[in-house]
Amino acid sequence: MLDIQNPLNGFNPAEFRQRFKVLFVIVVVAMSLLVARLWYLQVVKGEELRLRSENNSVRLRKIKPLRGLIMDTGGAVLVDNQPSFDVLFMPSRNQDITDVIAKMKQLSETIVPFSTDLALLERSRPFVPIKLEKNVSWEKLAAVETHALDLPGVNVEVVPVRKYLCADMMAQVIGYTGEISREELEKDDNGFYTPGDMVGKYGIEKYLDEYVRGKSGFEQVEVNVVGKRVRVLGKIDPVSGYNVVLTLDLLLQKTAWEALGGRPGSVVVMNPRDGSVLALVSSPSFDPNLFNGGITSENWAKLSTDPYHPLENRAISGQYPPGSTYKLVVAAAAFQEGLVTPDTKFLCNGLFDLGTRTYRCWQKKGHGYISLHRAIVESCDVYFYNLGRLLGPDKIASYAHAFGFGMPTGIDLPREKNGLVPTKKWKVERFREAWQVGESISTAIGQGFNLVTPLQLANAYSTLANGGTLYRPRLIKRIETMEGAIIKKFDPEVKGKLPLSQETMEVLTRGLWGVVNERGGTGHALHRKEEDVCGKTGTAQVIGLPDDEKARRAKRIPSQFRDHALFVCFAPVRDPEIAVSVIMENAGHGGSAAAPVARKVIDAYFGRKNVPGRSKSQVALLPGSGSVRQ
Amino acid sequence: MKFDRRLIFNFDWILLILVLVISTVGLLNIYSTGFSMMDATQNNLYVKQVQWVLVGLALMAVTFCMDYRFISRHAYVIYALSVLLLVVVFLYGYATRGSQRWIAVAGFSFQPSEVVKLTMILAVSKYFDEHRVSGGYSLRELLAPALFLLVPFLLILKQPDLGTALILFIVFISLVFVVGVKWKSMIIVLSGCLVLIPLGWYVLKDYQKERIMTFFNPEHDPLGSGYHIIQSIIAVGSGGIIGKGFLRGTQTQLKFLPEQQTDFVFSVFAEEWGFVGGLILITMFLALILWGLKIALNSKDLLGKLIASGITILIFWEIFINIGMVLGILPVVGIPLPFLSYGGSAMVVLMTAMGLLLNVRMRRFILQP
Repeated sequence: MLDIQNPLNGFNPAEFRQRFKVLFVIVVVAMSLLVARLWYLQVVKGEELRLRSENNSVRLRKIKPLRGLIMDTGGAVLVDNQPSFDVLFMPSRNQDITDVIAKMKQLSETIVPFSTDLALLERSRPFVPIKLEKNVSWEKLAAVETHALDLPGVNVEVVPVRKYLCADMMAQVIGYTGEISREELEKDDNGFYTPGDMVGKYGIEKYLDEYVRGKSGFEQVEVNVVGKRVRVLGKIDPVSGYNVVLTLDLLLQKTAWEALGGRPGSVVVMNPRDGSVLALVSSPSFDPNLFNGGITSENWAKLSTDPYHPLENRAISGQYPPGSTYKLVVAAAAFQEGLVTPDTKFLCNGLFDLGTRTYRCWQKKGHGYISLHRAIVESCDVYFYNLGRLLGPDKIASYAHAFGFGMPTGIDLPREKNGLVPTKKWKVERFREAWQVGESISTAIGQGFNLVTPLQLANAYSTLANGGTLYRPRLIKRIETMEGAIIKKFDPEVKGKLPLSQETMEVLTRGLWGVVNERGGTGHALHRKEEDVCGKTGTAQVIGLPDDEKARRAKRIPSQFRDHALFVCFAPVRDPEIAVSVIMENAGHGGSAAAPVARKVIDAYFGRKNVPGRSKSQVALLPGSGSVRQ
Repeated sequence: MKFDRRLIFNFDWILLILVLVISTVGLLNIYSTGFSMMDATQNNLYVKQVQWVLVGLALMAVTFCMDYRFISRHAYVIYALSVLLLVVVFLYGYATRGSQRWIAVAGFSFQPSEVVKLTMILAVSKYFDEHRVSGGYSLRELLAPALFLLVPFLLILKQPDLGTALILFIVFISLVFVVGVKWKSMIIVLSGCLVLIPLGWYVLKDYQKERIMTFFNPEHDPLGSGYHIIQSIIAVGSGGIIGKGFLRGTQTQLKFLPEQQTDFVFSVFAEEWGFVGGLILITMFLALILWGLKIALNSKDLLGKLIASGITILIFWEIFINIGMVLGILPVVGIPLPFLSYGGSAMVVLMTAMGLLLNVRMRRFILQP
């Protein structure tokens, strides 16, 4: 233990006193320095700085950047920017605002009516800008500018807003922008955003926000007493966002959109060779331009309470029973597992008995002895009932997964749904009940628990079309600067391989070809003289009515309980270039309702291909496109 | 431990009252920064700050109840734990505005770098108390205690939090000065620092370089970091002699002033209370610092002297650098103003430190057998 009183141990109070004197001097000098500086700023310069603060003469203004353009695969502009003229009111301190209010009222009554509630003006506070009206017309703008001298504090601000040239044709894909919300601000760790910034809220606008948004600029301006700018002290220019080139093909998107004609449903068109999505249509839709500068509450109420959910992207988040389009999976499983050969035949007399229950074929009189090929062509249910019982749910599920069902495809859009591929384990976990054989029967024809999205369906058939490669569907081709320098390029991404032999795929493809091109095929609507389309129809029951009763009441079923019509196809049969899936809600039979829509898309695709030079003229498809690119 | 009645007689009411008055001023000021003139709303940050003051006072009470010599016995363990927290921040902490300083525990986030300021003082004081030399320390003898600085210094610099790292460094150097050092070593250390400054330039982040450039040449970047200083000076100056009045600072209320509840909190105060208010506040700070030095000087043992002077020096430098920065006479480095800046970690640590000051003062007449 040290003796704390022993100076030899380094403890010398006198030395300490010396050093504390030095500390004391440092502290007093430092604090006096602060007081002196405070005196200088507040007393000597006080008056000058008070004036500066009252005029608030130096103001930092954020300059909003232009968001990047969004283009289709051929470079046609889908989303552009346009200037919006906003009228602001920002009174300065001690300003008599009653005069301005009177002038505004007068202007509003005599020249051009302002929709703004002028009572807002009365509640204004110094230096706090109030937005009187967004996106004003030219005449209002002229009225405000010509009376600028009488309206101190009233200013016009020009901000860029989005212009969605395709309106509702692809609204759910493109999405829309809006003012950043409080929650989004809190999540923004990098401090990139400030209140009032526009951010992507939905679709590609949201998904690629960090590329499209650009960077705000700043301007430090000196303003006079009425808030008009006197001079710019400094400026950092905003940086425009990157442009996005999508894989979407405007011609196909437009064709599919028009073919649906506003009826609820969805069309997905893909290039099977690399997984790029050529069209992604969800109907009914909405006009994203409504969201510019904030959507009005009545418009929002209309959109969000619409029973047809126009905001939802059915192509990726609509989940439907696949109906007979699922027979592709079941046929693939049965053939690959060796349960059937091309010569294996089952008897279809229109009925399939299982215990006490009887399952029916859609063809009441039956198909007689039928092979796999003809069962696909004529979509014989009884044949697939047999396969379903032989395979069981887990075998079917493993093949369904290989085709990409029951999991998100990974497309470049938020809010994609998984769909559902039932297994025995799933049934137990979900319902605490064992799997019933009858459920295998309905699974085999795509009823029961199965759910797929239109995109999964298109992707599954693409996988067969390209010889067994499961791609991640892609919507984004590349991101580039305004000058066209590539920032990011998106290459095809392989997600998996079909566990099918060459022979199996041959049998399946021939079957799908027959659906369209053979006598008695359910997809005859797609029969073209080139004999090049392979496809499959589907009719998905929305509610399980017993067959005979259903037939009896067919005419009286309310529309929301009618069957969904499905059609999936690809073409040409050798080395396919395009795959299309169509789902039309409550539209009846796949062959008669959905197939004609697919036909229009296929015709449009091959029509353009066979007329050289057409692809470049796509720009004309949109009104007002080709406008200034900044 | 036997209770000694002398403890009550020696309780330092002056220090406690000074701390309470300054904290109350701080709370009122936080209330003002949270008030918005635009729509007469209040963001209620002050409620949180009141809670932190109360937590701090509780910890203060706990701290002065235990003999500081008892606390010092565990100084290395406490120090090691706090450095461990810094490592946790380094590995798992989350970042705000590009700097990884925070960890979240049970829903509260706090800044271990604030804690290290105090634990380093404790550890260094213990070290010097146990390794005494006569005639001042030589450079070689300072190498071991310098490790107490170096480890947290590097970890904090890495976050990056230049301000806190700087404060640790200055406090350490000041403690070395207090404990006594050979003139030769002093000169070597100071010239070493001069050499290191240009080297340090390469370690700095771009935004830190910008701030320093701005300080030497305000025209360098009038929009970025220059804007803070310009707005801060306008706010302070426009307060004039008697100020604009509570909740009436226009620079503040209209949110022209950035970081107004944290690093620039003094300009809010100066705008609303003017030169008179500023002078009173600075005088109270000065009184607090001088009182702290007096406690150190009057302490009968080396340990008490070092702990008390370390804590006093810490708040002195924080006050001087922060206000100096707000008034535009020092470059902008992120250092909070003691008792006024919004922030739970700093408030709790400060209150604990004040508890230690009270502790040293209360026990100055009691000699350990």
